[in-house]
Amino acid sequence: MQLLLEQLINGLTIGSFYALIALGYSMVYGVLKLINFAHGDFFTMGSYIGYTMLVFGIAAATAQFGPWTGMMVALVVSALGIALVGILVERSAYRPVYRAGRLPAVVSALGASIFLQNTIMVIWGPRYQAYPAELIPAMRFQFGQISITLLQVIILALSFILMAALYTIVQKTAFGSAVRATAHDRNTAALMGINFNRVILFIFTLGPALGAMAGVMVGMYYRQISFTMGWNYGLKAFTATILGGIGNLPGAMFGGLILGVLEMLGAAYISAAWKDVFVFLILILVLIFRPTGLFGEKTAEKV
Amino acid sequence: MGNGKSAGLSKLFTTTPWYVPVLFSALVVIYPFFATDYFIDIAFFFGIYALLGLSLNIVLGEVGLFDLGHAGFYAIGAYVTAILNTRYQIPILALLPVSALAAGLFAYLVCSPIIHLKGDYLCIVTIGMGEIVRLALINNPFDLTGGPNGVFGVDFPKLSPNLVIDSSIEYYFLVWAVVGLSILGLISLQHSRIGRAWNCIREDTVAAGATGINVRHYKLLAFVLGAGLAGVAGNIYASKLMCVSPESFTFWESCLMFCIVLIGGMGSIPGVLIGAAFISLFPEIFRPFAMYRMLVFGSVMIVMMMVRPGGFWPRKRGGVAFRSLLEDTGNGNA
Amino acid sequence: MKYMKYVLMASVLLFMAAPALMAADKEPVVIGLQGPITGAWAYEGQMAKQSCEIAADLINKKGGILGGRKVVIKVEDDAGEPKTGALAAQKLVGQKDVVASVSTYGSSVCEPASNIYEKFKKVNIGYGVTAVRLTERDFKYFFRTCGRDDSQGKFFANAVPKKFKAKRIAIMHDNTAFGKGLAEDTRKALDALVKAKKVELVYFDAITPGEKDYKVPLTNLRESRPDVWYYTGYYAEAALLVTQARDIGIKCPFVGGNAAINDEFVKIAGIKVAKGCYMTNEPLPGDLPYKEAKEFLAAYKARFGDIPSSPWPIYAADAVNIIAYAVDKTRSTDSDKLASFLRDKVNGVPGITGPIGFTAQGDREGVPFYLYVVNDAGKIVISK
Repeated sequence: MQLLLEQLINGLTIGSFYALIALGYSMVYGVLKLINFAHGDFFTMGSYIGYTMLVFGIAAATAQFGPWTGMMVALVVSALGIALVGILVERSAYRPVYRAGRLPAVVSALGASIFLQNTIMVIWGPRYQAYPAELIPAMRFQFGQISITLLQVIILALSFILMAALYTIVQKTAFGSAVRATAHDRNTAALMGINFNRVILFIFTLGPALGAMAGVMVGMYYRQISFTMGWNYGLKAFTATILGGIGNLPGAMFGGLILGVLEMLGAAYISAAWKDVFVFLILILVLIFRPTGLFGEKTAEKV
Repeated sequence: MGNGKSAGLSKLFTTTPWYVPVLFSALVVIYPFFATDYFIDIAFFFGIYALLGLSLNIVLGEVGLFDLGHAGFYAIGAYVTAILNTRYQIPILALLPVSALAAGLFAYLVCSPIIHLKGDYLCIVTIGMGEIVRLALINNPFDLTGGPNGVFGVDFPKLSPNLVIDSSIEYYFLVWAVVGLSILGLISLQHSRIGRAWNCIREDTVAAGATGINVRHYKLLAFVLGAGLAGVAGNIYASKLMCVSPESFTFWESCLMFCIVLIGGMGSIPGVLIGAAFISLFPEIFRPFAMYRMLVFGSVMIVMMMVRPGGFWPRKRGGVAFRSLLEDTGNGNA
Repeated sequence: MKYMKYVLMASVLLFMAAPALMAADKEPVVIGLQGPITGAWAYEGQMAKQSCEIAADLINKKGGILGGRKVVIKVEDDAGEPKTGALAAQKLVGQKDVVASVSTYGSSVCEPASNIYEKFKKVNIGYGVTAVRLTERDFKYFFRTCGRDDSQGKFFANAVPKKFKAKRIAIMHDNTAFGKGLAEDTRKALDALVKAKKVELVYFDAITPGEKDYKVPLTNLRESRPDVWYYTGYYAEAALLVTQARDIGIKCPFVGGNAAINDEFVKIAGIKVAKGCYMTNEPLPGDLPYKEAKEFLAAYKARFGDIPSSPWPIYAADAVNIIAYAVDKTRSTDSDKLASFLRDKVNGVPGITGPIGFTAQGDREGVPFYLYVVNDAGKIVISK
């Protein structure tokens, strides 16, 4: 029981990383029907920017205002920086291509992914980098038999706040409904006076920014980052997106959380080496029985 | 195509005059006699990627099924060859059809339950399938695959006891002979009842079903044939490198195959050859850039798609007919 | 304006004559380096490149070889991938001026590449390839300056259980060719002790490298109650493993293989966690009593600011040294002469990593191992 609960919490922590990354995938997919393979690299780059901030940029700020300010600055700067990178990538690699359809954009996205990954290698070097130790006091909370660290609490809380904020923006504001309308039917939305380019701008700012913050959190949690890690996280987050039902934001969030928990349980009760096989088998089984994901609606097809 | 100029360009590329294949074949035959072993080896891997591109083109180009796990079939072919050859000393060339059959059978078994999935859902399932294959190879089930080390000591192909294929130029002719035969086979497939049924499914699955085409059957056939051809590529690859290991069959390898088909032009055989040339030659050309090599490669991929989004040599019929795939209609998935 | 023309002509002439002038100044001896300059192991490849260049520089500063010819390193990227490795090897053997090749990092990349070197009769010296099988193929032109998995495994079996009076031993690897090879060779080396009921192997399993969360395999490790825990993978995972292990209450001594602990490990894990971690290793550069080592490391540090963070690049530098030595002594760049010289005549030649010599199979002779420990100041020192 203790093992189960501990793994659930670990799974939720990893799952919230997947969920944050998956949201970016899901938004871009929803509007453009594009699998943005470069998204995992946005995440990595965010992690590296956060690293640079924490190691060099804000030592002074930290000394003066305490570690919390340092952490927040790292998160915000990294999010802003990657939002900018996101827009740049969209402008240079996707916009010239997606009018021609969705498949050329897949190649373009893969190209962008290699480009970004190698840019990170050239800028920060190919070595592993380590986040500074003990940014957050190593505090522990004990709930009965299980213990949870302060850092885990912060990560979970922050992820849920971010997800809730995004959900509110997309579901409750006028602009959010413009995004949803565009995702539903781009041409009709344009006829209704929705500015398509602004919608694109929105998703390519928020998606990468969320990914970047996930990157900083991953850096703080595991303390170690490498320039190739985006590929792995990207693949998992994409899996989460599909598991939840592609283009469906709450689906992507729950998909990520479920995936994280499944991964941990698979590792605990089956085998650590076979856990990814287990995750993909579950995904395939889900899709065999629910071909549009766990939360995807089945739409009637126009013929 | 948006403007007149590129429309003219694509017209130039879509009609294939008779002398193009003749010249190309002549070039393939003459080339190795003027090239060093290094350049022959590059052309060998070009041939391997051409085979892989042709095999994925059946699934992706002809039928329009998104398959991003094709490296899994390639791996099955390579490992079947390596394991059977090193354990039971079965000759490589005898294993050529065996690895094709094994990969095809594997495709039939894993694709049967998932063949009804659409678009990106099929895509992620094939990714999952490819990853499962790779992870299984690493985890060394039943002590067969040698884990992360892989299987080593694979033999040379032997035509007869005295005629052993062991030099770069002989491997080159082996792979290009297989490419040539596959192209002939695929062209006749394109013009057969099967090819027309495939294209019909690609353009409109529902209409295809309504006209009496057994959609499920034809989709599975494409997967089985595509996997079989990838298995053949795996067989040749294993004997050329004399060893197989899991890092040759990653998700990235599947992505490269996907790019081959798209860069060349979906469903177009000359296009596949151009795409394969791009994928195999460019990283070698960029060697002088050292650590910036892949940076350049990535940007060139983007530029290629800007310049010719429909691929370098789109198929004639495809020029107008790829609407269903290229346009984002927004339906077809939830 | 008139003499402008003459200036132009003169410079053109000079430009054309330059290659000829350079040829008069003796041609350099080119040594190839095949390594992962891009890809997931890029840091290893790039450090190897730096090390080889430093080694060549040091040789050149002392007047080069063969009476004044300079040593030049020609790098080919293999991206840590077998196929690209085969092409890189093919490219190097195709260049007549490359006398021999330092190749490569990673046993599964080395395998197809060394087949090509063998076929084209070019001496190739592995620097980060420890799989036992590589030298069991009885190749004529393949050598390695690094040790083999089984020598380290034997060292572990001899030294570690005694040192910690350990009965219950856990071995964890990372499913890479190197990590798994070392783990299995260690298991083999422990066999005699296990049969004699002196020790018990209570845990033998793999983790997946490249991940961040290892709490689950560690929980299983904890349940097996080991007295000592040997991890045979790389430092990136080792640092995460030790940190997370201490978090979930695993207190037994941690022993890493020779890729598991280095300064990066200490940096990532933090001194608090890292101190008291052990490793089995060849003598580290800093502990090498040889003057070659001190000289090399000083030059490396002067140019790149820090010494290499992994053990392998230094073996690459030694491979350059021994090739240059062989070319100099045989006064030849003929592969057959070089190969037989390396095999028969090279014995106790001073190198950065100690006296260099090769067995008949091409293995490095006598690579010593030590048990190292991270001390309270975060320095890695020989354990007393």
